[in-house]
Amino acid sequence: MRPPPAHSLVNRLIALTLLLLMFAGSLGLGAVWFRQEISQTANRSRSLEHKLADIERRLDEVNAQVAAAVNPDALLRQNEAMRLGLAAPREIQVWRIAGSAELHLASKRNLEAFRDEAFSVAAASASAGKDFSFRFANASLR
Amino acid sequence: MSKGFANNRMSLLAMGVITCFMAVGVRLVFLQVVDREELLRFVDKARRQIVVEQARRGTILDTRGNLLATSRSEITVAVDAWSLDEYLQIERNPAKRAGKAAVEKAKHAQLAVLLGLPVDAVEQAFTPAMRDIKPEDDKRDGKVDGRTKDRWVKLREAVDEPTYDRIVDLNIRGITSERVYRRVYPGGGLAAHVIGYLNKEGTPVSGAEQHLDLYLKGQDGWIESEKDGARRELAQFRSREVAVQDGNDVVLTIDSVVQHIIEEELRILGEKFSPNFATIIATDPMTGAILGMANYPSFDLNHYSKAPLEAQRNYAVTDRIEPGSTFKIVAAGAALNEGIVTPFSSFDCGIQTIDYKGRTIKLPKEDEPFGVISVADIVAHSSNRGAAQLAMMLGEQRFYDYARRYGFGETTDFPLGGEVRGTLAPPARWDGLTISRMPMGHSVDATPLQIHMAMSAVANGGVLLRPQIIKEVRDPAGRVIRTFAPERRNQVLRPGTAALLAQLLTGVVREGTGKGFDIPGFEIAGKTGTTQKIINGRYSTQHHVASFVGFFPASRPEVVLSVIVDDAHVPGGTAYGSKVAAPAFHHIAEQLVQYLEIKPVTPTPATRSFLAMQGGVQ
Repeated sequence: MRPPPAHSLVNRLIALTLLLLMFAGSLGLGAVWFRQEISQTANRSRSLEHKLADIERRLDEVNAQVAAAVNPDALLRQNEAMRLGLAAPREIQVWRIAGSAELHLASKRNLEAFRDEAFSVAAASASAGKDFSFRFANASLR
Repeated sequence: MSKGFANNRMSLLAMGVITCFMAVGVRLVFLQVVDREELLRFVDKARRQIVVEQARRGTILDTRGNLLATSRSEITVAVDAWSLDEYLQIERNPAKRAGKAAVEKAKHAQLAVLLGLPVDAVEQAFTPAMRDIKPEDDKRDGKVDGRTKDRWVKLREAVDEPTYDRIVDLNIRGITSERVYRRVYPGGGLAAHVIGYLNKEGTPVSGAEQHLDLYLKGQDGWIESEKDGARRELAQFRSREVAVQDGNDVVLTIDSVVQHIIEEELRILGEKFSPNFATIIATDPMTGAILGMANYPSFDLNHYSKAPLEAQRNYAVTDRIEPGSTFKIVAAGAALNEGIVTPFSSFDCGIQTIDYKGRTIKLPKEDEPFGVISVADIVAHSSNRGAAQLAMMLGEQRFYDYARRYGFGETTDFPLGGEVRGTLAPPARWDGLTISRMPMGHSVDATPLQIHMAMSAVANGGVLLRPQIIKEVRDPAGRVIRTFAPERRNQVLRPGTAALLAQLLTGVVREGTGKGFDIPGFEIAGKTGTTQKIINGRYSTQHHVASFVGFFPASRPEVVLSVIVDDAHVPGGTAYGSKVAAPAFHHIAEQLVQYLEIKPVTPTPATRSFLAMQGGVQ
């Protein structure tokens, strides 16, 4: 068997070198692309962090403004400036009830409605010269 | 073309490529090995940066979650005039350069409006200037002449975020900024002495800000990274990062509305009586939680630097006064607790002297003449001689022991510090008259808070508690990481005795020295006090400390309230506790009953119900 000619070996070597170079170049390009991706992700992440911090700062700012607006002294000033005339009830104006406030108000309303209606029916009947019968008003709160 | 020529060309190409690679390799060896240290130093200096992230200080909240103190970011706006200069110099075309300069100048005028500064001042800041520098540090511009470019000319501090956003939108060349957190107090002067403040350097100076700094301050973070030519961080080159830890939030036991009610009352007291100082404290008797604590004079936390030092004192803990008649709860409580008297035991309070341990002792004067009266009347009418006789029945040591048990002569362990110890001398140091004078609150002194906590012990069944001001600590995510339970210090009286004494104290507003200041249905129990002040070593008849210390409802106490007014100026009269402090107590109590939804313990009068049904009185 004849050994391969010398130029054939050189050609193979050159081809291999070029292949190696292409491979190394690809690896390099891949690494660059990879680093670029890392860089972009890191910058996006930093940008999100900044946005988050910015939102938190603005939230604090708004919270501080809300707190300043609703503190008792500010509300009193608003009450005066807007002439709302709001005032806490005095102890003598307070009537405490033991049970449900809704039921209590309903019965009070029924009493008033019944009294008014009875009065109007009685007045109408009296003017027409007829007898009148009672009607009941029910609480519509429940 | 012969095969040999082709081979030669390929060989030449290969040699050329290999030579190029070798050249690159040699250069790399120089860069990476030979000159490595020098180049690294240069790169490090030019690109490396450490960015410190400031921790956000925690907020202080009241018991209902209202903000009392918070941190707000503010921006310091400055100018790097050289940056603008360099930007303009890049443009070679003089006409274009002038155009760019005109555009920037127009923006400067808008900037001046936003910052509220004269246009001239802004233009001046944008004029490139040099500043002096130490020659050894002068390596920035290549010349060692002790001068360098001034790249930070401050324009304005404390610019808020919305204004800064508008400045950024202008896109002005050469504007730089620095963001800082500043403490703000949304309530202004609300609970000023309790919250305290941070000075301009950010150092906590007083109150909760100082004593709870450990919870509030957090820990700054930092990032070691690199920057590009425009000084922007290159996030991909972050090498080390220590995360910032924001401060924890502290929830106080203070209730903003209660605090406001008592501060409003103090304002009225201040306008009416111009006292030296006044203090009002409201607590929950069962836990010792302070619902409100305020002093007159006070100050605005957002403008602390304008407040005189006297206005910044928390008189409730820093100043001592003689408790006066409020101290009679010691003698009465001790005598009842020891079982040596009952509420019906009678004493002759008309006598002027009494024999005690073989000596004749002169008894103190009374404000009104009394004859033989019961222990209940001694308490209700505040008889000095009656209290003295009760103390004599106990004896010096036992009386002293009870006073100590009530917490006199020591601090209350107030969590925000600054508290002074009261004075209570041991019996060995008493003179012959002390046993007759101390029961009426002379020869002893205490802070308003110490007097308040002593009364609180009567209200809660005889237990002396440590005053609580911190309810809980929350992490930045809002999770509770620490709570504070009530702390018991002493059992002063048996529960039965405390309840009995509480009932006797209702007599004060029903028929005694505080008559007329009851709230029907709510069993106000309390004790008036009028103490002569010691001026130049003698008890003055012109200067008094007026006080009313009490709680309600007596049989189911929900609030302990103290009103103490030092040296009130009452036109043509004496500043009695019943004239100065009791009306304020009554007014506050009425509001607290409404706000805290305290239920009456006895039925309210029918007339009131009728009035309320009709919509109340006008």
